[in-house]
Amino acid sequence: MRKLLSSIIGLTLLISGCSSSNQIGKSRLDIIKQRNQLICGVSGKIPGFSFLNTNGKYSGLDVDICKAISAAFLESPNNIQLRPLTAAERFTSLRTGEIDLLSRNTTFNLSRDSQKGNGLSFAPVVFHDGQGLMVKINSGVKDLKDLSNKSICVGSGTTTEQNINDAFEEKSLKYTPIKYQDLNQVIAGYLQGRCAAMTSDRSQLAAARSSFKNPGNHVILDNILSKEPLAPATVGNDERLADAVRWVIYALIEAEEKGITQSNINQKLDLAKDNKGMKPLRRFLGIEGDLGEKLGLANDFVVKIIKTTGNYGEIYNRNLGPNSQVYIPRGLNQISKQGGILISPPFN
Amino acid sequence: MKIITKDIKFLLFKARKIGINNKTDLFITFILLVGVFATLTNFLNWIFFHANWEVVSRNLNLYIIGTYPKALSWRPFLWISIIILLSFTTLLKKLNYIKKRFIYICWLLIIPLGIYLLAGGINIIPISTNFWGGLSLTLILTFISIIIALPIGILLALGRQSNLLIIKKITSLYIDCMRSVPLIAILFFGQLLTPLLLPVGMEINRVIRAIFSFSIFVSAYISEDIRGGLQSVPQNQIEAAKVLGLNKYQINKFIVLPQALIIAIPALTNQAIGLLQNTSLMAILGLVELLGISRSILANPQFIGSHLEVYVWLALIYWLVCTIIALLAKKIERHFSKSLNFQGDL
Repeated sequence: MRKLLSSIIGLTLLISGCSSSNQIGKSRLDIIKQRNQLICGVSGKIPGFSFLNTNGKYSGLDVDICKAISAAFLESPNNIQLRPLTAAERFTSLRTGEIDLLSRNTTFNLSRDSQKGNGLSFAPVVFHDGQGLMVKINSGVKDLKDLSNKSICVGSGTTTEQNINDAFEEKSLKYTPIKYQDLNQVIAGYLQGRCAAMTSDRSQLAAARSSFKNPGNHVILDNILSKEPLAPATVGNDERLADAVRWVIYALIEAEEKGITQSNINQKLDLAKDNKGMKPLRRFLGIEGDLGEKLGLANDFVVKIIKTTGNYGEIYNRNLGPNSQVYIPRGLNQISKQGGILISPPFN
Repeated sequence: MKIITKDIKFLLFKARKIGINNKTDLFITFILLVGVFATLTNFLNWIFFHANWEVVSRNLNLYIIGTYPKALSWRPFLWISIIILLSFTTLLKKLNYIKKRFIYICWLLIIPLGIYLLAGGINIIPISTNFWGGLSLTLILTFISIIIALPIGILLALGRQSNLLIIKKITSLYIDCMRSVPLIAILFFGQLLTPLLLPVGMEINRVIRAIFSFSIFVSAYISEDIRGGLQSVPQNQIEAAKVLGLNKYQINKFIVLPQALIIAIPALTNQAIGLLQNTSLMAILGLVELLGISRSILANPQFIGSHLEVYVWLALIYWLVCTIIALLAKKIERHFSKSLNFQGDL
């Protein structure tokens, strides 16, 4: 009996020891560095964002974000493990520590961010998606107004349906919704000419369009009917990791603002080294000051990021630019100087 | 003239033989034939002239090994080749007793070999299960789940027949519970809830979680199949065994189970094929098995819109694998049915 009791106590201590050792003040950032590997949750099934290429490697915008973060944390973009996750399991995997970082088309909203909600911590938005409309180029439709009294193909029972209704009601215009069960049917309906326009998230419209026979005959309107800011996320109670991820994303944006690219990073580095007067550039590239150290990263983390993935604009163009197969006009995703809404706080 | 009527009569006789009795029958048959013909020509026309099979040919490796590191891809390929080779020797060759024993042992070794080759370990580089995928993952999920579920199923079936009330009630409860919950619910439970129940930092890998969920589910069904076998063993055999002085363990081991298992083979084959197809459910839970990897490939902007080609290709692979399993089971059944011939002669 005594043996049993002591063994139970021992086991309890062992288990509680296991579970608490991870929680005492240790940031996930240290665990990632110790492990020398970043485990990144992606979707793996979204064209342009994360998909499997013919070499058996994942690529896309979400994947490049993971690579940038891995370059900043671990000095190498290859120390990265990508786990395909479904929408249902993404938050659980993050909370249980199965993954360090979620980079999977997750819409940033209040209930996901708050402690009483999903308790996540969101990094800056990496892609502003939103519901859009696609029409045939020769239909002459340029704006929502031109679609009044026409029919629009829409997936039924989704927020998409709600949003298009709201948008037309707001302008007191009328339209005929033609409802389908899922996106593929919506596309088929649109192609068969049952409606003048189809509506869905702009990234999905772009992906759908690239599968058409003549993608050039279709155009995505500039109207944006809803906000879908997509952002990477980490666990809520880990400030150090969240800060580090946040500033990696900002570094990508800041680099584009400063015109630093994968090809000219070495020149910029030499330039900054030679000119002691260029304080902001020197701080940004880690030649001066200790910005990286404050985050728990190497001082020249920005240089490593840019060398691996390039700045935000380069990542965007590689995956979603005009030369890629899934062309989505940058729109809101331009940096602020170019009329978009991406902006980085100063690196001071 | 006479000859012609004779011919017509002969034709009518032939027609009646294949089920055409009157004009209505003829009409329906004709319509159906036209329908089948039209569908078939359209389908074949699409397969040979319209479909763009690039999405299959350029990703052939991915369908089989998934995201497994390229430098080590010989390991899953070797495993699958051995399985194919073994299946064919088992099916085609007429074998003597010793060779049969040898092949039997080979089949038993397939699973440990698969785990060793895929996971690595002694002497070869370990590879995390996260890189497993495609057909190799589908097969290993199926094989391991079945090999775990089978003994559990046998025990459950025996438990349900037990005279001890507690064991009988518990096993019945377990079987009924498992059979009243859909598989997808158990898979969700395994994938989403178990990590929450474990202490922080502890992680059971996703493939093991899937295998666990499949095993506990399938074992309930297997136990019912085996119970059917157990009940078809005549009661007088058991009584005779008791008279001979065999104890309960011996009766089960030497008399009841061997016969029950052979009777259950067709039903068990059904379970195996069903399980193989059910592993595709893991695609909606984030594992990149055959269906999962296909969906990832379809997201590649180069291949957007080739859904039809990919799913037809998948259907072909699943059909091929299931057919091989069915043929193997038939072979086993035929082999053992000889030993059952005396049944009922008592």
